[in-house]
Amino acid sequence: MPDKPIEGEKRVFMTGNEVVAWAALAAGADIMYGYPITPQNEIMHYWTRLAPRYGREFLQTEDELSAGFTTCGGVLAGRKAFTATAGPGNTLMQEPMSMAEAMRLPTVVVIQQRGGPSTATVIYSQQEVTMTTLGGNGEGLRIVYSTANHQELFDYTIKAFNTAWKYRFPTFVLGDGYQAKMRESLTIYDPAIRGIELVQAEPFLGKPGVPGVDRPPTQLRNTYNVEEELYEVLEGYFKDYEKIAPEVAEHEAFGLEDAELVVVSHGVVSRACKAAVKELREEGVRVGYFRPITLRPLPVKALRETAEKVGKFLVVESAQGQLARLLKEAAFGCPVEMLELFKPGVGITAEDVVSRVKEITG
Amino acid sequence: MRCISGRIVEAYIGEYASGKSEVAVNRALLLAARGRRVNLVDLDIVEPCYTLRPLKKKLAEMGINVVAWETREMMGLGETGSIFYPANRWALRFPGDVILDIGYGVEGARTLNLVEGAATDPDLKIFAVVNVGRPMTGSVQEIVEYVRSLGRVDGLINNSHLGDETTVEFVQDGARMVDEAARQLGVPVVATTVLEELARVIGTRDAAGHPVWPIKRFMPHALW
Amino acid sequence: MSVQPAMPKSWRVDTKPHKFCPGCGHGLVLKALGQAIDELGIQDRAVFGCDIGCSLLAWDFFNVDTIQTHHGRTTPVITGLKRANPNLIGIAYMGDGGGYAIGSQHLVNAAARNEKITVILVNNTQYGMTGGQMAPTTLPGQKTETSPYGRDPEKTGYPTQGPEMVAAITREGAYVARGTVANLRQLKNYLKKALENQMAGNGFSFVEVLSACPTNWRTNAEETWKMVEEEMPKYFKVGEIKVPGGQKEGEANG
Repeated sequence: MPDKPIEGEKRVFMTGNEVVAWAALAAGADIMYGYPITPQNEIMHYWTRLAPRYGREFLQTEDELSAGFTTCGGVLAGRKAFTATAGPGNTLMQEPMSMAEAMRLPTVVVIQQRGGPSTATVIYSQQEVTMTTLGGNGEGLRIVYSTANHQELFDYTIKAFNTAWKYRFPTFVLGDGYQAKMRESLTIYDPAIRGIELVQAEPFLGKPGVPGVDRPPTQLRNTYNVEEELYEVLEGYFKDYEKIAPEVAEHEAFGLEDAELVVVSHGVVSRACKAAVKELREEGVRVGYFRPITLRPLPVKALRETAEKVGKFLVVESAQGQLARLLKEAAFGCPVEMLELFKPGVGITAEDVVSRVKEITG
Repeated sequence: MRCISGRIVEAYIGEYASGKSEVAVNRALLLAARGRRVNLVDLDIVEPCYTLRPLKKKLAEMGINVVAWETREMMGLGETGSIFYPANRWALRFPGDVILDIGYGVEGARTLNLVEGAATDPDLKIFAVVNVGRPMTGSVQEIVEYVRSLGRVDGLINNSHLGDETTVEFVQDGARMVDEAARQLGVPVVATTVLEELARVIGTRDAAGHPVWPIKRFMPHALW
Repeated sequence: MSVQPAMPKSWRVDTKPHKFCPGCGHGLVLKALGQAIDELGIQDRAVFGCDIGCSLLAWDFFNVDTIQTHHGRTTPVITGLKRANPNLIGIAYMGDGGGYAIGSQHLVNAAARNEKITVILVNNTQYGMTGGQMAPTTLPGQKTETSPYGRDPEKTGYPTQGPEMVAAITREGAYVARGTVANLRQLKNYLKKALENQMAGNGFSFVEVLSACPTNWRTNAEETWKMVEEEMPKYFKVGEIKVPGGQKEGEANG
């Protein structure tokens, strides 16, 4: 029996990509399928170096279509399988992920966003929000965690496996190129010592017994003959999704009690926003902070409550309104004005946010 | 501090994010400050992101010849970002001292094969930079195994830190571990590198009796 | 009095009669496959993957766990499954479009990596389910919905030589053959060997099967067999192309 990858807990200094590899090990991931693309390659570099020590597997596929479909195959076989990609690779990943959505496969995919569209930059952006939350030809039946720092990358990668196998929706950890490459300290730990129970994987195909003799054959498909069949299936999925949304949705917020303006952001940009809002509040500016941690499902209740109370949102993102679009839908009907600080593909500093808020509040 | 009269040629290798570039830059600046002619060579070729490129101008102003692409010179940075700067091949022919920042990679010290004359340069020293805060080099045994996998290594540098959370204790624990690893490997410990503020507290020698080299942080400004 | 035709044990009786067109080759291929599964006793370990196209009509065909995938993606899904649980016997079943067009990238790479799976590719020279468009294996001069004047090899090349390609890029340990629905005993044999090759852990196994699509060919029974037995073999050679250990069918007897 191979050793546990992490015994107890320890404070370490790592890059984000490495954190993902270690977290996947700690979560009990059995196999990673992957294809090289900047800026997530070190997830594979570290997984391939560490996996053999702990009896885990790896396959480098011929492209991201295959990485996604082999991941589907892996979970169908009842193993905790994951993959990672970015940018154009994420575009290709939409095809396999739409199969995962259709068939409720517990896939885990880590996305390290880079500039888009097309090849753009390998560096950073928040421009894969639309694609990761609502990509493929589906209805967004996905769970997406947007992390802001390395501790979260570790915590939420472990959580992603549990979430996927518990609720059976394709689950994503949405990071970005800065998080992927930046170096930070964090505490890595054995989930058991934190009381985190790992959900067991189960096979869909190849269960014990002779099909048709000991048990019915498992025959899975993603195609239907008539509209009504599809409708019925989807209605069932929507119900399931709605039921779990309140349990799954996460957010953090502060300074809302007296706020006249709320700065809304996600992922690494929320760090700059948090620092900016703290600074502004110290100066007496009545500004609040709201950060959805899950982009799917969004914390709709909390968002709407905030939108009802506070008349103005300043949406800050390294994209041209991809988060804003999701918020507008969630807050529809609430009397909230949506202001913007959009910098597609470019990092945003606390100074940028402070200036913009001051511009708005005068 | 070793006797500075002859030509100094040092290659810094080590694990991903172990601090090689930071140590290399600081070393180059130290030598330049003593009036020496210094060349700092960028040999980061596996998906480089924190590299010398963005610092090229700034370091040049401080008297160092940086042998690397300037960020904007490079086309489609990243996808083609690991293109070898042609002058790197002849880096050892530059007059003066040569500090080589060797990026990470499974090939370890073999990257030096790309530099003409590396195998026969009489002054070349290859130093492995180790940070015990990184999980793959977090114990004496792991350090020994890792350094063995690099190929030729002439000395170790203890660069143990936890970023902004670094304490004197952490650095000294690292110093002791690196010292023991060096003993097992049969190579000397060259120094402990540590931020200036903490260096003042530690003094000129670390807990294992090796020299302390104070450093300043440059690399956080050197992303891509 | 109705007489039940002899069906392989691994067939699922309650989904018969099947949905394939009258005269379709799939029914015959799947019968040979069913017999192979029975004879090898792997009904409990086999996982059958089918593609998009007429092959998807096989999704409830067997008493074998089955996954219907996306077009051209059956090879990677079965690859992923086999890598995750090597005890399973992975069968990837697809047509000539799924294998040689949209799925060719995956076929080539699975072969090059010597993935321990069995790929069965049913070649009926056109995209059947979508109404009969030209495919990589359409014969020169053959009329299809997207080559209404007959396939012009000058403009669109000659029919893809799939098994030959797979044989060229695989090494010792691979099993590659081309069978035909015109010789079911031989086909069953090839399929058995292809599955045994996987069971022995040797490597990649690939069997292309020359098959019929009278519906889109618009051929009567006689013309259909003429196509399969005379026309297609002009471009697609039937036989074993690569066998681990080198001894092909018929060679043992010299």
